[in-house]
Amino acid sequence: MGIGIGSVSVNFRDTTSILMHKIFSRPLPDHIPDASVSIVWSLRIPRTLLAFIVGGALSVSGAVMQSVLKNPLASSYTLGVSSGASVGAGIVILTGFTIPFLGGFTLPLFGLIFGLLTVFIVVSFTEKIDRNMSNNTIVLVGMVFSLFVNAILTLMSALGRDHIQQLIFWQMGSFSSREWSSLIILFPIMLVCVLILMRYTRELDLLTFGEEQASAVGVDTNKVKWILLGLSAALTGSSISFVGVIGFIDLVAPHIVRKVFGSTHRIVIPMSILVGGAFMVICDLVARTIVSPTELPVGSVTALVGAPFFAYVYFSKRKV
Amino acid sequence: MHMFIFQNERFDNMLELNNVSAGYDGFDVINNISLNIKYGENLCILGPNGCGKSTLIKAIAGLIPSTGQILMDNENVGKMNRHEIARKIAVMNQISSVYFSYSIYETVLLGRYVHMKGPFKQPTEYDEDCVDRCLKAVELYDIKDKQISTLSGGQLQRVFLARTLAQEPNIILLDEPTNHLDLRYQTELIDYLNEWSKDGKHSVVGVLHDINLALTLGDKFVLLEEGSIASYGNAETAVTVEKLDKVFNMDVVSYMLNSLGKWKTIATQ
Repeated sequence: MGIGIGSVSVNFRDTTSILMHKIFSRPLPDHIPDASVSIVWSLRIPRTLLAFIVGGALSVSGAVMQSVLKNPLASSYTLGVSSGASVGAGIVILTGFTIPFLGGFTLPLFGLIFGLLTVFIVVSFTEKIDRNMSNNTIVLVGMVFSLFVNAILTLMSALGRDHIQQLIFWQMGSFSSREWSSLIILFPIMLVCVLILMRYTRELDLLTFGEEQASAVGVDTNKVKWILLGLSAALTGSSISFVGVIGFIDLVAPHIVRKVFGSTHRIVIPMSILVGGAFMVICDLVARTIVSPTELPVGSVTALVGAPFFAYVYFSKRKV
Repeated sequence: MHMFIFQNERFDNMLELNNVSAGYDGFDVINNISLNIKYGENLCILGPNGCGKSTLIKAIAGLIPSTGQILMDNENVGKMNRHEIARKIAVMNQISSVYFSYSIYETVLLGRYVHMKGPFKQPTEYDEDCVDRCLKAVELYDIKDKQISTLSGGQLQRVFLARTLAQEPNIILLDEPTNHLDLRYQTELIDYLNEWSKDGKHSVVGVLHDINLALTLGDKFVLLEEGSIASYGNAETAVTVEKLDKVFNMDVVSYMLNSLGKWKTIATQ
């Protein structure tokens, strides 16, 4: 569905025919114009798949952060992944610097490195000042560091007015102009991260009962925290470095999954991928069709849906 | 230090503390604690708020760093990793809030964590049997699929007791576990633990606010005063009128006798 609808609409049957044609070399019905074929195959499919993968990656990352930090409102963004990645992207956009051979991938690469670097700094700093790496300290350090990095970003935008629009658009997130190449890089990263995460589902379950209890039951809490926060940051960092900062999905999807399927992480993680992925495809669909032919940044759509949800979770928690 | 520890070898002292000090952020809350427990013995730690009871429990479990020496089966706990510690020592404490809900069964199964093997830690038949046994012991087997977020404080506490038992430790450290339990379950918990330790393969170290419960559970007692041992030994030598008065800064025995008098009146009515 996400593939068919768009500025140029291609109906469902034709879409299926095109898919069959490309994947199984079935003959193409005569009435389908070449333009439709290339729209579907080169633009819509990679875009939809990318939206799905990014949505899934962000949701899993959110689920992990929420459990590790034992905070239903936590996400990778709390630890400054997005701020860090934005600064990385900002540097590339402002200086116009590109690494030879990598060309267009310089921006995602810088975003990823800076995002991971931020989390690394936040967690190491936390470990320095608090040997037990308690959640409150992590969240607090993350917040402070995010604000600090954001200030740098503001400074950069003020200095480079010419590029400000490009930077703002990157920060809002969009799946436009994304082709197969991004998918080929992002998919393996996600696959590896999720597979490793699936090994740590019991630890995740235990961590939601608190660090001390998890330790008492035999979890090497600090080590596991490092691994989980790192994987989670890698998922978010790599996703947003390709498509920009897309918020709220990492918050909303895991909550829905937990409500419906319970909290066991063996189920929460795969279901977060499905729900988050599907949710992202729908948001992207809305983003590019609602005021067609103009495209909205998908980040604003997820935020429009996500912000009320955020409030809902917060207030329903307080009533209990 | 013994180089080789055999599985079935039983040392005289199951747990031994030599000059243990521990605390938070570099400040010692407990100082130079030395004590020992044999298999089958239960130790109760008594003292007023802030005397370091919980800190001592955490130090024994290796949850906070400590100086001095803590030996479990003659092995230095400070040199063991979390996994090795958790196979021998379990901690049951006051429950905090539940953030994400699990079923009772899933929660208790998590107690098997140190015993589950393989990359994805799938439970074996033995793990599942063990969980069933523990659930039956705390009378929660019939509602094992209920979500823990819907349980009362007392039921939740029993879920955590079942999880602690499922861990199959040699020693259980209790940190005020009776807080949410009503009188019946309090006494049942203590009776159950007494039975559990009296097979000579286990021990319980407990911090209990209720001195009556502590007297029922303990074979040995430690009275803590501002982080140091004020008295230590069996009930006759360690729990005396003047020691209790001094540590709790009130006339504990008169208070207890006074309430006993009231109970006697109730009984004769």
